[in-house]
Order: sequence, then C-alpha cells, then structure tokens
Amino acid sequence: MSAVSPGRAPSPGRSLSPDGHGVSPAGRVASPGGRTRTVRPALLTLASVAVLVGVWQVVAMARIWPPVFVPEPADVWRQLIRTSTQGYSGYTLAEHLLASLRRILLGCLYGVGGGVVLGLLIGLVPTIRALVGPLVTFVRTLPPLAYLSLLVIWFGIDEQPKIWLLLLAALPPVAVATAEAVRGVHEDYLNAARSLGAGPWELPWRVVLPSALPEIITGVRVAVGVAYTTVVAAETVNGVPGIGGMVRDAQRYNQTDVVILGIVVIGLSGLLIDVLLQALDRRLVPWRGRG
Amino acid sequence: MPSRPADPEPVREGAAGAPEAEGEVTAIEVRGVSHAYRGRPALGPVDLAVATGEFVSVVGPSGCGKSTLLRLIAGFAAPSTGSVAESGRPVRGPGPSRGVVFQQPRLFPWLSVAANVGFGLRRQPAAVRRARVAELLDLTGLSEAGRLRPYELSGGMQQRAAIARALAPRPRVLLMDEPFAALDAFTRERMQDEIRDLWRRTGTTVLFITHSVDEAVYLGTRIVALSGAPGQVIFDERSDLPGRAHPRADPGFGRLRERLSEVVRAAASGPGEAPGTPAEPLAERPGDLVGDAGLGRTGAALEREALGGQPPR
Repeated sequence: MSAVSPGRAPSPGRSLSPDGHGVSPAGRVASPGGRTRTVRPALLTLASVAVLVGVWQVVAMARIWPPVFVPEPADVWRQLIRTSTQGYSGYTLAEHLLASLRRILLGCLYGVGGGVVLGLLIGLVPTIRALVGPLVTFVRTLPPLAYLSLLVIWFGIDEQPKIWLLLLAALPPVAVATAEAVRGVHEDYLNAARSLGAGPWELPWRVVLPSALPEIITGVRVAVGVAYTTVVAAETVNGVPGIGGMVRDAQRYNQTDVVILGIVVIGLSGLLIDVLLQALDRRLVPWRGRG
Repeated sequence: MPSRPADPEPVREGAAGAPEAEGEVTAIEVRGVSHAYRGRPALGPVDLAVATGEFVSVVGPSGCGKSTLLRLIAGFAAPSTGSVAESGRPVRGPGPSRGVVFQQPRLFPWLSVAANVGFGLRRQPAAVRRARVAELLDLTGLSEAGRLRPYELSGGMQQRAAIARALAPRPRVLLMDEPFAALDAFTRERMQDEIRDLWRRTGTTVLFITHSVDEAVYLGTRIVALSGAPGQVIFDERSDLPGRAHPRADPGFGRLRERLSEVVRAAASGPGEAPGTPAEPLAERPGDLVGDAGLGRTGAALEREALGGQPPR
C-alpha cells in the first residue's frame, strides 16, 4: 500500500503522534491513481452504527414481527427519556446504571487486587503454583452463573453475593495473566537488578511486577469484560436497582423496548470503560511493544 | 560549554573500596572453574587471575562458554567445580561490586533513563544520587536524555545508559558480555572508542567478552582466548595497544590480530585440536594458572612493552 506519494511529506499527525499510532492504516484507502484518500476510523464506526439502526428501523416498520418482539428505535428512545426522568421499577436509569457500575467497580477492584497478588505468588513460588494453579484454572473455566446459586445460599440476596460473583469472575483472568507474565520476565532483568544490589524481597516489587505490568493490564481488561457480562446475570436475583434488575423486570412485562435499552446502555458503558482502560494502558505502559 | 574543567587527575573509581595499593590486588581470581550445562561440560577447567585496572578481552568461538565464565564471575550461577573470588572475597551471588553490561541493554522500560542509572543508588540520599546520576549521564554523553524512556533512545544510547547504570554503584569490576554485538558497525566502532575512553578515565577493571578478534585486540590490555567447548584458556597475552593513540594504525595491531585469529579459528574447527602453528604449542597448556606466564609467549615488540597492562594515566 503506497501511503504517501514521493513528493509529499507525511502528515504531521502521523509522524509526531506521541503514542506512535497516528492514523490507523486501516482507515487509508489507496485509489487506483496512486493518490490516497484518508477515511477517519471514527467516521467508519459512526457509519456502521447508522447502518445498523437503519436496518433495525426498516425491519421494525415492515412489521415482519409484532412490535412486542421488535420495537422501533423511536420506542427505545422514548423509553430512554421516560426511564431517565420518571424512572423504572422505582429508580431512574442513571441510578440503575450507577448501582451496576458500583458492583462492577467493587468486584473488579477486589478481583484485580487478589488476582495480582495470587498471580505473583503462583508465578514466583513453585509450591503455591502446584497448590493453587489448577484451582484457578478450574474456576476460570466455570461460567459464573454456575456458582451464583452457591453464593446466594452462602451470602443471601443482598449486595454481598453479587460482589463475590464479580470478584470470582474477575480474579482468575488477572491471576493467570500475572502468573504467566511473572514467569516470563527475562532473567537478565533480574540479574541486572541483583547486580545493582537488589535483594530477594526487593525483586518482586521493583522488577517482576513492573515488567509484568503490560500483561497485567491486558488481564484487567479481560477481567472487566467478564465482570460486565456477569453483572446482568448477578442482578437477576434481587437486582433492583441495577441494569440487570431493570431488564429482568421489563422482561416480565414484555417491555421489549426497555430490555433493548438496558442492553444498549450496558454495551455503551462497557465500551466507554474499555476506552478508559486503554488510555490507562497507554499512560502506564508507554513501552508496550517497544520494550 | 566547559562543564569539565581541565581534570588533572582522572577519576579513579575502580579501587574506591579496596584498601590495598593499586595493581597489587587480584580483582578477579578464577580457580579450576568448570561448568556443565545439562550434563555436558561447557566450560573449563579455567584458571584466570585478573589484576586491578586491567582490561581483559575474552574471545572464543561461539559456544565455548565465554559468556558462562562471565556469568559465573557475576554470580548469576555457581560453578560445577572450582571457585571464583573478587578482591579476595569468594563470589556467592551477584553484587554491586561487579557491574554487568549485557548484550541487550536490558534497561528497565518502566523507568526513565536517569532512574535506570540511579537504580543501584536507591539506598543513597537523593542529593547524592542525583549528583552521581548527572555525573554518569555526562560521562556517557546522555546529559540530555535523562528524562527520556529507554525505548526513546537509539541502540547505542541504550547501551551507553546500561554502562552508566552498571558503573553507578562504583563497581570494582565491570563485566561486559558482548555489549556491542547487537549494534550496527558504525555505532559499534564509536562505542569501542567510548568504552576505551571511559576505562582510561575511570580505571575500572574490565572483563570484556566478545566474539570479535578485532574488538578484543583493539580494547584489551590483556587478551584471553578460549577453546571450543568445554572452553579452556588457549591464549593469554598482554598488549599495550589500547594505550596508544591509534591502535589500529600500529603495525603490532595487525600482527596480534592475525595470530589471535589463527588461534580462534583453530579452536573453532575442532575441540582438542592444537592450533597449527608450531610456534604456539598452546594446547599443551590448558588450565595453567595464567598470570605472568602469558608473557613468555608474546611477540618481541609486545613483550618489551607489556608492563603489567596498566593503562596510561
């Protein structure tokens, strides 16, 4: 792909971009004449969303299925306004969302904290690796719903089982990513630190953990994703306020527009959080791919 | 910018902690050291005594265990047999008295260049640390690069930062494991000049592993060659070439390089085979305690000038 014609200087945004990404090559389209036409990726995303909504509108208007199954986009929009102002199941949309986000935040916080510590121990101490490693893999392969009932029996139906569920969902991916990264630390980093006087208790904190940081953050992103997919399920039991509880109530009354609204809100907020995590990643791990 | 006013006395860092008079101390003493890797002998037995202030180049065919020798001296591994001592104390593990520079710079990517250089000084007061880091960045020509991250530097600058980091705690010995092998030819030559200059200014004892005969002859006040695996000392001579203004222009340079090349080539072609030249019955003397014994075999011109391999002040 000829990105730049010989006579032209590369666009400053491409060469000076601090994160080195510049304009994504996917957004560049070379026309047969050799000139280049740049399409912003954001524009492409917007176009795909517009097409999706358009298709949805057409399908709904065609009345292939009754509105109970496929409401129009406008119905969902009306529900957005109504739930935001008058509320649904006694809480506004923002309150539902905040309750869910709070659970995700707490569950991920505990899960990530525990996962990093556990992963560090698994990676560094062979005995602990043998003792706990298989257990972590076992829990990781379980769908969180499988142990939801157990948690309800143990912790009741209030906040506790939901936080525990998200914790148990978020911990294994972080623990596994951390353990792998810890074992993959190049021994010359450790040797260099030892030669500079670092003792055995300094190494995990000063060398192992920071050099495992890129993988740990990737693990955190996976964990937040898992927590997001789990929270709606967790809120099917006494989940109001909460987006999951709202969706559950709407399902009982066949209010499909509210169900779709809940799905869209969860999806969009998840997208936003991932963007934030990516920004955090660029800030904490500027050397990713260049170490 | 006269930041460095005419230094009459070069900074002598190497012997800072050693109470004995300079040149008298054995900086590194390797005795009967051998090392096996996965049950196969990889090195030795090797005897090697390095005097304080020497710049010892160790050259040998690939797989001869020259890096292993460095790692044993650094304390990254324990020898299968024999013992390693540094400044009279047995080596039991890595420590700040032996700075190490690896083939890859291995700078910590999560720290700035200055923080990397200051890593070995983290227990010292902040003011002392800052001053020492500034001094080292200046010494290695990285004064402007302190705030950058390692990945923002070129390969040569990264390696210079790694050298500065290794020098920071004032090690008595600097161990360098093919430090310029991954650099391009131009950078490599410049770095050779810089390390030669740095060694002259700091006087640190250097053990320099390389697979380049040219580099070994250019830099070493003493040149040691190892045989093919298991590596044993088959060549050990002193040289005053690094002290000259233009070593490569010296007629002695070509001669020494030629002889050394032959030794290394013969060693690479088959383990245990004696190098062909009758003047060099080297295979008969593996594992000699090579100290001054090496002088017996030097070329006449070199022999006259081989006065303990001390760098000119």
